[in-house]
Order: sequence, then structure tokens, then C-alpha cells
Amino acid sequence: MTLKLASLLVVLLCTACSREDKEIELSLVIRDHLFFPATLNIPAGRIAKVMVDNQDATPEEFDSKSLNREKVISAHSKTVLFIGPLTPGEYEFAGEFYAKTAQGKVVVK
Amino acid sequence: MFLDAVILVLQEVLEAALLLSVLLVVNQLLDQHFTSSHRVAMRWYGAALLTGTAGAALMAWAMPALSQWFDYVGPEIVNAFMQLLIVVCLYVHCLLLQSTLLQRRRRDLYAGLTLLVVIAFGVAREGSEILLYIDGIMGTPASLMPVLLGTGVATGIGVSAGVLLYYALVALPSLVALRTGMVLLVLFAGNMAAQVILLLTQANWLPYSPVLWDSSGLLTEFSVSGQLLYALVGYEATPSLAQVGGYIAAMLLIISTPLFRRCWRSIRS
Amino acid sequence: MTSIRRFLLAGVLAALTLFSFIAPLRGYRSSMAEVETLFDAHLLDASKLVANLDMARITRQSQLGDNLAFQVWEDGKLLAASSQAPSDHMAPLQQGFDFANFDGYRWRTYSWFDESTQRWIMAAERTDQRFALAENVVLETVLPILLGIPVTGLLIWLIVSQGLKPLTQLSSDLQKKPAHDLSELPLRATPKELVPVVNAVNGLIHRLGAALEREKRLSADAAHELRTPITALKIQLHNLAQEVDAGSESFRQLEQGVERMGHLVEQLMSLYRTSPEQFTADCTDIDLHALAQELVARMYPLFEARQQTLELLGKRCMMRGEPFALETLLANLLTNASKYTPLGGRVQVNVEAGDAVVVLKVQDNGAGISAEDKARIFERFYRVDRSSNAGPGCGLGLTIVQHVAALHQATVSVHASEFGSGAAFTVIFPALMET
Repeated sequence: MTLKLASLLVVLLCTACSREDKEIELSLVIRDHLFFPATLNIPAGRIAKVMVDNQDATPEEFDSKSLNREKVISAHSKTVLFIGPLTPGEYEFAGEFYAKTAQGKVVVK
Repeated sequence: MFLDAVILVLQEVLEAALLLSVLLVVNQLLDQHFTSSHRVAMRWYGAALLTGTAGAALMAWAMPALSQWFDYVGPEIVNAFMQLLIVVCLYVHCLLLQSTLLQRRRRDLYAGLTLLVVIAFGVAREGSEILLYIDGIMGTPASLMPVLLGTGVATGIGVSAGVLLYYALVALPSLVALRTGMVLLVLFAGNMAAQVILLLTQANWLPYSPVLWDSSGLLTEFSVSGQLLYALVGYEATPSLAQVGGYIAAMLLIISTPLFRRCWRSIRS
Repeated sequence: MTSIRRFLLAGVLAALTLFSFIAPLRGYRSSMAEVETLFDAHLLDASKLVANLDMARITRQSQLGDNLAFQVWEDGKLLAASSQAPSDHMAPLQQGFDFANFDGYRWRTYSWFDESTQRWIMAAERTDQRFALAENVVLETVLPILLGIPVTGLLIWLIVSQGLKPLTQLSSDLQKKPAHDLSELPLRATPKELVPVVNAVNGLIHRLGAALEREKRLSADAAHELRTPITALKIQLHNLAQEVDAGSESFRQLEQGVERMGHLVEQLMSLYRTSPEQFTADCTDIDLHALAQELVARMYPLFEARQQTLELLGKRCMMRGEPFALETLLANLLTNASKYTPLGGRVQVNVEAGDAVVVLKVQDNGAGISAEDKARIFERFYRVDRSSNAGPGCGLGLTIVQHVAALHQATVSVHASEFGSGAAFTVIFPALMET
């Protein structure tokens, strides 16, 4: 049973890997607890490598339930976040530490 | 600010509190059943909580350096590694409790050490996030009050849920309590395995896998009940295939071991 | 160890905290939503107001309050704007609400197209300030609950302690009960949950008391009933001595047997004569030294027969006790000392006053008592050396000593004597408080 499931998993993962494209690079700046740009445009089916630059003096946590991403970005530092590939639609994200102002969305077309 | 703080802190506290109370109950019952000796000494729990708190401070302090590792995916990798270790130690711990092969003192030592790793690593992982959060909020004094209140409320809810779960399990007949506890531990292990997969996917170490379903309309993770379900059975509104796969695989792996089955069966007497 | 108190405190506090904390969260969510619609309506009104402004008089530095920004666009050109507004479109050219980031804040925006003037009107309001208001309202309600939790915890602790009081009272009552006290537990002010427990314990005590009483009465009655036949037996034996050879071995054995039986009956009677109820009634103030002096004089022949020295040390010591019982106690200790000390041995009696106590000590230079025997000598019918001893004895002597001592709230201990060999028995009585 376990073996069957594991092999199924491997097959599915391989099909997922097979359509790997070159990832596109984007940048996202956090300043004054705001995201710039507040909207990230990503083509459907592509992996986006987002360079996040936190220019604030406080850490921030990039959090998105719909994107299944959660990552702490330290104060005055950069990090990388991989998003996608995604199906067309809008995916909201927020800075969990300042969720009222740090709001943004990923638009996939 | 307040509600965000509650949800953020609750997510961390609830997971740790529920795991702790289930561990306490299972420990107590398994030990009673298999060795009729005293359960793993309470000082291990104390030591684990202390180590965990210190670890949380250390992790929060080291976060800037950590985030530069492995091409900026250091936190994901370290967290995934810790989580994996927690699952393994949790499993070994449960096996040790019913082991009759080891010498009494050695068994207690190993059981205590694995318990220490499970709780200390868990608390360090969850606690570092809360510390970073509160540290970050210090910069904006206006938000301090709502955030501290939110932290207090979330801690209250989390700890209370843990206490109530503990007493609810203890109130059950010991066989039912033990089996419920074991099922919960298996679910926790599945949840943790799913988190490992998620972290590795986020770090791009594991390939992408499609989202299986979206139940955010039914129950959002931004609610107390969503958080409770997340902490209990690892509920996620939009899980990926790999996450669900990892969840089920970890559970099956644990359930299929002969020792688990022996434990499950032998309690029947 | 599970604790009822801890369970009640933790359980009640947890349930209380859980629900009193979750309730305001729900309130928070709904009041936030309400405030949101309220502020949106306000923003919409403000944007209508902007349309009616005299555009010519508006400069780039104009303000409509700190947290209201606006822009008026005509043919893709910025006609007028407030100071905080950015130079490009602050909201999409699409009628309705949206969010935007500029001037270091996040803004709620509203844009609409004014058909009459062919202009796009955009108004924006800072989001942080609208949340602050609603948040304060909720925090005001949450803060007292949060601060109240420790107070509630203390109150629950007190309530639980008060609730458990009858139980702790009952357990301390049971713990404090002396071993020989077989009186029933009082049922006053017992909560109805504990009445069955108290009743059950009282039933048990009652049955135990009855059983003990039966045993005592049986022994006492038996002893009493045996007295007459033994006296008759003695007389018959005396008569028989005239008729047969009194010096023969079997006659001597018979005589000794009857003697021992008579002694046993006497001892049994003195053991059960002193019941606690009767004892308190017969208590008087007595000088233990004087009592010992009298007894030593009376028993001196016994020691003389075995060429033993018997000395009495000490001085006047007043205590409260029953003279007859105390006499029995000392007589038993002296008989034992004489019996277990070889011919020509030495026995010493000491009566001394200690710190609020009176100490009676009887020691000899006999063989002493082995550690193994020490544990058992106070048992009924236990004798150290059953075979060789020819003298009368039934193993009741020390039992009586202990019984009498207990009646006087005294303690009996046995240890090595100061003579190098032999045993010492020490009885410590509470002294009479002389006023």
C-alpha cells in the first residue's frame, strides 16, 4: 500500500517536473510596510523567482494562503521567493506582521 | 492589527499546546500500560520548554544570517530539517515508550531525549516567529498595545485548548484515550511531513505540484476554527498534491510499522 | 498524582478563557466590517464633494484634512489634487472602490466619472486610521477580560478550595484520629455528597468497634469464668498433695501447669480491666516515685530469692494516672527483668522528671533482647524464649505494659541497658503541669 502510493507520488511529481520552464525574475520591495509594486504579474504556468527587498527597519513575513507561501524577511535584507507555476487568476498576499497595510496580489494571466 | 496578531500567534501556540497535551497523555498511558513505571519525568518537559524558548530566541536572532544561506532559502531548509527531525523523534519516542528490549534507565533516558527534541525544536520553530513578530512591532508603538493584547488572547486560547484537550483525553477510558492520542499523533506527524514538503517546495528544492482543492470558501485559515483544525489535523484550504501525498505517506509509514501495530493491538488487553 | 483542585482550577479557567476570548474575536470581525461600510460611504460622499470644488482655486498644496487625498483628472491631465496625492493615477480609471499605496501609506480609494464635467474624480482615505478606530472599541472590551483572567483564576482557586474544604476536613479528621479512638465521625455540616462517605466510614468504625468489643468481652469473660475452676483446681491439687507423693516429677509438672494457667488468667483480666472509658474516671494525681517505692518493697522477696539486687533511683515525680494500672505496668516490667536476668544479677528502676515528661526506666544486666525479638516482644503471647524458661509467663506482660502506657498517652521503648549487657525499658509519661 505504502509502496504503491509512493510510486504514484513519484510519477505525479515527474509529470510536474517535465514542464519546467525557465523561471522569470521579478522584484518586490517592502517600504513603509507597503509592497511595491502591490500587483505582481506572472504569466500562467511559469515559475516566478521573486527577489524580495525589505527596506524597513522591521522584519516582515510574506504570507499567502492561496499561494501556500510563508516566509520571514529580516529587516534591511533581501530574500528569494519562488512562486508558481499558477493557473490564471488573482492570488492575494500580505505581510503578516503589518497585514493592514502590507497588501498585494499576484495576477496570473 | 489585533486580529492579525491573534491569528499569527494562535497558529504557533495552538500547534505546540495541542502536541504537548497529547504527548503528555500518550506518555502517561503508554508508560502505565507497558512498564507500569513512572512516566517520563516531568523535568524533561521543563527542560524541553526552557531549551525551546532559548532556541526560539537564538533562531530569531540568527534569522538575518540564516536567510542568506542556500541562495536565500536558508530558513526554509533549516525549518524543514528541524521539522523532519521532530517527526522522526516523535516516532522514536512513541516506540521507546513501549519497548521492553532496553534497560529501564536507558529507555527513560532515550525517551526523555527524544521528547526534548520534539518539544524544544517545536517551541523554537514556533516561538522564533512570535519573537520576530513582536520585535518587529516594537518599531511602531501605536501597534504595540493591540499586538500584545492579541498575543495574550491567542496564548490564552491556545493554552486553554491544550488544557481542555488534555483533560478530555484523560477523562476517556484509558484504552479509548490512548488510541485517540495515537491517532492524533499520527495526524500530527502527517501534518509535519506536509509542512516539510511545503517548505522544500517553497525553497524550490522540490518541484512544483498542482493544488488539489480549494476549500477556503468553506473554512478559511484566517479563523479560530480554521487554526484549530490546522493544529489538530493540519487543515489547509489549498493543499498541493505533494503536501497531501507527504501527509498520507508519513501516516501510512508510521501505521505500517510492526511496532505501531503491536502497540495498538497489545493495548487491547 | 492527580489533584482535584488542580483539575477544577485548570479546567474551569481554560473553558472560561477559551470562550471569553473567542467571543470578542467574533465581535471584532463584525464591527470591523461595519466600520468598513461606514467609512466607504463617507469616502463616497467626500468624492462627490470634491467634484463640486472650484478647481481654479485648488493648488497642488491643497488639503482636505490629513487623511483625505484626492485627484481630479480631465482628458488624461491632472486638473487638481491634494498634497498627498501622487503625480500619476492614484486609482484605476474605473468606477468603484480599490486600494492603493502612495505617500508611505495604504489608501482606500474611490473613483467615479463625472458625466457633467467629463472629469475623473478620485478620493482616498488612509486605511490605518479607519482600522485604529474600530480596533480601539474592541480592545476596550478585550483588555478587561484579559486582565481579569488572573483575578478570575484566583477567585476560582478560592472557590474550589472552599468547595473542597469538607473533603480536606474529613481527611484531616481521619488522619488525626488516634489509633484506639473508635468514636464515630461527626456528621455536622457535612455536604450531602460526602454523607455516604462519612456514613460508610462510621459504619466501618462501628463494626470494627463491635468486633473489638466482642473480642475483649470474650477474653475477659473467658478469663473470669476460668478463674473459678482454676481456684478449684488449685484446692484439689492441694488436697491431692496430701494423698500422693508430692515430690514426684509429674506432680511438680502438674503444679507448675496449674500455676501458669492461673497467671495467664490473671494477666488477661488485668489487660481487659483497664478500658479507656473506665480509665479516665479512675485517674488521680499520683507520685510515680512513691508508687515505685511501695511496689519495689513489695516485690523485693522475689528478687531476693534469685539473689538479685534491686535498686530504686530518682525523686518525687507527679503525674496523672490510674494507680492500679501503673502498678501493673511496673510489676510486669520488674517481673520480666528478674526473669531474664541470671541469678545474682542487677536490676535498677529510675523515676526522673524530664522536660514536661516523667521518665520511668527499668534496666537489668541480663542477656538483653536481640534485634529480631525487639520488633515482636510487644505482640500478644509472644515469648522470647519458650523452651528453657520454667517460671510462669504467658507472653502477655509487655502487651499489658503497652496497653497501660497507651492509656496514659505514654510511649514505651526498648534499648540496651547502661550495664554493658541487658535490656532497658523506658516509659515516657506526660508530666502533670504543676501550677
